[in-house]
Amino acid sequence: MANFFLIMGVGMCVLVLFCLYRATCGPGVLNRAAGISAIGTKTLIILLLMGVIYGRVEMFIDISMVYALLNFIGCLVLAKYLERSGEVSC
Amino acid sequence: MIRESDDVIVKTLARILMPFIVVYALYVVMHGHYSPGGGFQGGVILAAGFVLLVISHGLEQTRRRMSEKMAGAISSVGVFIYGGIGALCLILGGNYLDYGKLSKILGVHQAEARSLGILGVEIGVALAVMAVMCTIFFAIFTVGETDEDEGSEKWPTSS
Repeated sequence: MANFFLIMGVGMCVLVLFCLYRATCGPGVLNRAAGISAIGTKTLIILLLMGVIYGRVEMFIDISMVYALLNFIGCLVLAKYLERSGEVSC
Repeated sequence: MIRESDDVIVKTLARILMPFIVVYALYVVMHGHYSPGGGFQGGVILAAGFVLLVISHGLEQTRRRMSEKMAGAISSVGVFIYGGIGALCLILGGNYLDYGKLSKILGVHQAEARSLGILGVEIGVALAVMAVMCTIFFAIFTVGETDEDEGSEKWPTSS
């Protein structure tokens, strides 16, 4: 069963690369913001899968909750900054 | 200057999320020696709550609850708690931050005194980190507020 979660984690890491491509050379600011947000979500899932693999989910859930919170707030701050500087143009 | 957000979703979400953030930060501070976390991480989560408040309800309303002067005072109090507990152990005849010596004044067993001492130090660290993070965030987000920029005529600043 741990093998299954390991393969899922590796697949998630591969998906992160696609999001990283969208975040680095995506056209416009909004694509980059969406890519960064998606990378944060995938990192959260990878953390939980690591917890399952190591058999210590209760410890990794704490980290992943903080990560989700900071990802959400970071996304809001980025949106606020873009609204303030008026650079939203796709 | 960050105005109050007009977005109902963001404001409602911040209002719902804020108590949970504070409770979770206190959990991280209290359980620092059982699970990942501790004073620094708990303070950062508390500061993230204030950042969310700034984003959703504007800088003015956040300053009414947590002004820069108050942030400086809280950070000083946090460092004072940390240094005070350490110096108290020094006065009671141990090394600096030797929590076992606190059992003389707390009136509990030595191991329990150690646990309580660590908890007190972590609370001090959390307060200091929260206040310093808030200060840094306010300083970054109010850059160029008094200077003349293109936004100053749209949103006249009070200062």
